Amino acid sequence: MTGMFFTLLKKDFRLMLSARFFLLAAGSLVLYSCYIHFVYVSLDDKMYPVYCYDPAGIGTQAINSITAQDSGRTLPPVINVNTKEELADACSDGYSIGIDLSEKAPRIRMVSCGIDTIDHLRAAYAASRISTIGAGGPAPLRKALLDSEDSPAEADQAAPSNTGAALIGKDSKEMKNRREITAEFLFFELAAVGFLGLAAMLFKEKDMGVIRIHAVIPVQRNAFILSKLGLILLSDLVFSAMLTLINLGAAEGLAVLPAVLMQAGILSLLMALAGFFCAIALPDFKQFSLLYLVLAVFITTPVFLAGQTGLEIGWIKYHPMYHLFLAMKNAYFRNPNTSPVYYAACACAVALLYLLAGWGLRCEMKREG
Amino acid sequence: MNWNALKYQLKAIRRDKLCILTFLLPIAAGLALNLLSDLNLTSAAEPAFGILQNDLAPEAVSWLQVHGSVTAYDTMEDLESAVREPSTQTIGVLSDGPGLQVFRSGDELTRTAVTADLLPQLYADRSLMSRYEIILLPSGSDNNIMKHLLIVITMVTAMFMGCTFNAMNIISEKEDGILCINEILPLTKSQYALQKILVGFTGGALSTAVTALICMRLSIPQIVPLLLLVILSAFIAALTGLFIARFSENLMAGIVFIKIIMILFLAPPVLFYLLLPADGIPHALTYLLPSSATFYGLMKLLTGSGSLGKELAVLAVHCAVWFLLYVCISIGFRNVRACCRHQH
Repeated sequence: MTGMFFTLLKKDFRLMLSARFFLLAAGSLVLYSCYIHFVYVSLDDKMYPVYCYDPAGIGTQAINSITAQDSGRTLPPVINVNTKEELADACSDGYSIGIDLSEKAPRIRMVSCGIDTIDHLRAAYAASRISTIGAGGPAPLRKALLDSEDSPAEADQAAPSNTGAALIGKDSKEMKNRREITAEFLFFELAAVGFLGLAAMLFKEKDMGVIRIHAVIPVQRNAFILSKLGLILLSDLVFSAMLTLINLGAAEGLAVLPAVLMQAGILSLLMALAGFFCAIALPDFKQFSLLYLVLAVFITTPVFLAGQTGLEIGWIKYHPMYHLFLAMKNAYFRNPNTSPVYYAACACAVALLYLLAGWGLRCEMKREG
Repeated sequence: MNWNALKYQLKAIRRDKLCILTFLLPIAAGLALNLLSDLNLTSAAEPAFGILQNDLAPEAVSWLQVHGSVTAYDTMEDLESAVREPSTQTIGVLSDGPGLQVFRSGDELTRTAVTADLLPQLYADRSLMSRYEIILLPSGSDNNIMKHLLIVITMVTAMFMGCTFNAMNIISEKEDGILCINEILPLTKSQYALQKILVGFTGGALSTAVTALICMRLSIPQIVPLLLLVILSAFIAALTGLFIARFSENLMAGIVFIKIIMILFLAPPVLFYLLLPADGIPHALTYLLPSSATFYGLMKLLTGSGSLGKELAVLAVHCAVWFLLYVCISIGFRNVRACCRHQH
């Protein structure tokens, strides 16, 4: 019995080799890692550029001393322009802000970005970025404005001495980006391609008439399913481990690896069994695979949007993939899912899909004779 | 062009229900996007402040509400975990005498990090804002950028359908041996390729056009540029499908190629659009990817800013270059095969 199982394993392994399964997985691994290392890690947005028109030369200077604490992000300098037209032109993009100091009252000029709160924030930010150079060196314009008024008392004169927010998280921006995108890629790879991997393999065997042969030789149906499932699971686990270690680094990678492998295993089993069932139950798998690839994009997009940007979509909690994705992501952020309900649901789903796959195989064998 | 042959191609598709579904899917997504108006997309772009219940003075709370969305938490633990949550960019705000005390998790993007760092100072200076004369010009169109992005992603996916369809169609014909039958039929390789391009192109273009009709509110002068954009992009997509079919031997390899191309087509343009300044060498380099030009063009149409001349020119160049490349490769292959036959 064991010997038979190993023969099956060997045959499936050879089948995967001949379908260049491993080569393609390695290719995906390289592609993903390159993308993460060279593109995604440096992902960032910029603070709003501030343009200033100051013909009288009351002196504007960027307050560059306020830098973010963690990575020495400095603010971009205030850019001086020479004419009003230039100023109007520079701040016409709904993003940049212009300050006009040529009138008696300083004027902030900008095009709305469509969201009121952000517009208010932009204005307040721009106002904080100009300072005057007086006899006593650079002083904030706010002070000059206060002095010029008759009743300076209404503002809080004492500006907070220590600017900068306290940091309470453990990750830097780069590490967060790495964890986030690795989780996303692994999820997509397992959900979209893991499904098709086993399905395509089985479909090929079905085409070659292997199932018909299995119907007449004394091989257990369970062994037939398990050998394929085991190989796919193993290769998915190796893929997950390599993707994690390459992109998170050895130390961080090893720290999250057990939790990640747990989630990857669950997802891999679910998707491979679903693929097995679809390949055996659907008469025309080829067209189905095309449809599936497209479906995968539309199914995973809301999941990614809700999971990554914190968008509030009410119905998303009924989306089973959402919970799988969250578990995967939380594993990467050292916050593994410990809810027994989740694991019970996963176990039930795996058992159900396994029974379905067995049933499908039995029907297929009966049909083939 | 042999119209009869084309008729057979279309007949083959008509029997293929799933293939029609594939082309209909982006349209369904477009409809869903249009109907899902409860999807509050601005919430992700706004600065988010987390505060403690009954901690800040009412004045501070209303000031924060003017500058972002405010969520009150019952306990300090809840607030801290909300700030730490990697998928949101919540800034934690506590009272500090008359001022504010701010904390953040440290993994934010620059804009949130700087906002958090400056927040106490901005709050202290709040009364000064009345001394400024603020001129807020309305923007040309509604700038719901997240919705625009989703619409454009749906449309680029719709265009991509031509590629997926062509690749899968040809690969499965390859596996079924139809290509061998074609060798003895009076059908030249170029006729076959043209038919396939035309079928994928028509499907992709129609699907995109209908999606555009559902999702985009366009004025009359914008229609011609949109049509040109759709036609050029759908042609490139169909051609890409032919490339994939040529280089993949079996279905599985085809799927992997499609997956890679799909990621390359969809993900980078979104990032480029959001992150690279619109003038500069890096931005110009992104035009090497045909989908970037499509993406920028569609975004321009949606936001109603600028003309599409550059994008259309770039796409036309892409069409010409890739088509020539395909022709060259085909001729090269034929020559090699002829040589082999000759040697035999």
